[in-house]
Amino acid sequence: MAVLSRMDWYDIARTTNWTPKHVTEDELFPQELSGSFDIPMDKWENYDEPYKQTYNEYVRVQREKDAGAYSVKAALERNKIFETADPGWLSVMAFHYGAVARAEYSASTAEARMARFGKAPGMRNMATLGMMDEIRHGQIQLFFPHEHCSKDRQFDWAHKAYGTNEWAVIAARHMFDGMMTTRSAVGTALMLTFAFETGFTNMQFLGLAADAAEAGDWTFSNLISSIQTDESRHAQIGAPLVSVLVANGKKDEAQKMVDIGIWRAWKLFSVLTGPIMDYYTPLEHRKQSFKEFMQEWIVTQFERSLLDLGLSTPWYWDQLLQEIDSQHHGMHLGVWFWRPTVWWNPAAGVSPEERDWLEEKYPGWNATWGKNWDVITENLLAGKRELTYPETLPVVCNMCQLPINQTPGPAWKVRDLPLDYKGRTYHFCSEGCKWCFEEEPERYAGHLSVVDRFLAGMIQPMNLEGALKYMDLAPGEIGDDAHAYAWAEKFRAAYTKNTA
Amino acid sequence: MALFPLTSNFQEDFVLQLLAVDSDNTMDEVAAAAAHHSVGRRVAARPGHIMRVRRQGSENLFPRTMRLKDSGLKPMECIEVVWEAH
Repeated sequence: MAVLSRMDWYDIARTTNWTPKHVTEDELFPQELSGSFDIPMDKWENYDEPYKQTYNEYVRVQREKDAGAYSVKAALERNKIFETADPGWLSVMAFHYGAVARAEYSASTAEARMARFGKAPGMRNMATLGMMDEIRHGQIQLFFPHEHCSKDRQFDWAHKAYGTNEWAVIAARHMFDGMMTTRSAVGTALMLTFAFETGFTNMQFLGLAADAAEAGDWTFSNLISSIQTDESRHAQIGAPLVSVLVANGKKDEAQKMVDIGIWRAWKLFSVLTGPIMDYYTPLEHRKQSFKEFMQEWIVTQFERSLLDLGLSTPWYWDQLLQEIDSQHHGMHLGVWFWRPTVWWNPAAGVSPEERDWLEEKYPGWNATWGKNWDVITENLLAGKRELTYPETLPVVCNMCQLPINQTPGPAWKVRDLPLDYKGRTYHFCSEGCKWCFEEEPERYAGHLSVVDRFLAGMIQPMNLEGALKYMDLAPGEIGDDAHAYAWAEKFRAAYTKNTA
Repeated sequence: MALFPLTSNFQEDFVLQLLAVDSDNTMDEVAAAAAHHSVGRRVAARPGHIMRVRRQGSENLFPRTMRLKDSGLKPMECIEVVWEAH
């Protein structure tokens, strides 16, 4: 029997809305879970997903993808990437797996919410596949690092991280909970699939796969590419939704959610992707600076998507462009300085040649962040390593949960943006984070940052030992300089001459 | 005497830090406590200078002998610690 081609029957198969008789429409699609802004049911039928795939096709393609990624891993298990890779690259892997694996699994519940409570039948179809994608991403990114656990306990954090109160995990959880596990189907589609995935991760995964290939890690490169092909499909859940919302007079509502999603995604990117691209990736493998990557792929491309869909660029766009030049340098310095509090080994990335590269890509780097690194480098050369460790906590932002930092040195732009709300003072790193809070204060007001918890006596004893215990960082897991400070020795001759 | 946490923004450093001081501390003592976490760690010492404290955004320096409890600062309020030629 001849089989109909997909497009001969696809439209009929996705026309799955019906008129409920035993319950009301609101009971079937509660506002809190659907978030459909009272747009009539028939209007949702206009949702037209650009990437059409049937379940049958999905299963076949996904099986092939899994077979490809797992067979590359099996074939290369003896190539000793763990023993031969640059330590900076191993840090990228440990950092990535801990920050991402269980967030992906959690994303499957967000996709499931869209699959059940989205009023657009096409969205429900796409989200059903997206839900299975995310389960796959969770599983595969737990399985792949497992082979390294016996050699390095930091890889155990692929699974462990999300169950702890480690500060970077608190930040990631706050963001992901804020945009995907506590939002309606519409909110999730706008914030997770449109702002975060279309705007950021889809491109970031392409870059990461290329970096892995450059570093000779074909297993990781194949894994990330395999995941990215799923992302590029299910990330498209959001765009047709924006079209439906704009066509039905809900542009402002869509814009606000997209703006919150982009800002929050940016802050996480500044601590996750920025340091990896500009500091951890070995110099000879760097293709593009983080700033160049952001300008080309995120700003230019994503800005076009926003405008094409009838939205505007977010109100904070100029501020975001400024932060692309600066924010990740401070995030990196902070992570390195507070390195005992992370589950990976930060690569300093500030040898003489690397500083030249940073100065070329970010003119003025030596006169700003370089000034702080000068003092750190001199302490290492003088045998005063104890001064390269912290004795207090950084004050973190009550929105992004990341250290409040800005340009140091003579240009010194660091400042706190406080806000009083119902008798409590909140501290923010930026106008963007403060705005996110002001738009939905009750959503965030009860949350305690790691500094709030410290001051509330929840971290005992009140010192580094107590903080490490609170964050569940055991010996063998806490971070240290990825290259055992070898980079500092390259300054030895100049240091000896200056101090002679 | 009571523990009085502040947010320290030290001149030319890159990050805000938690500063655990005492309500009876003078502003010179507050500045010295802030310096412990910044100077010689990420900010170079400046011979011939002293450190002064001001409320974030203010041009007015607190008197050096003023006690924290008399300053009007709130817990976790952000102070700027700046160099002054001496």
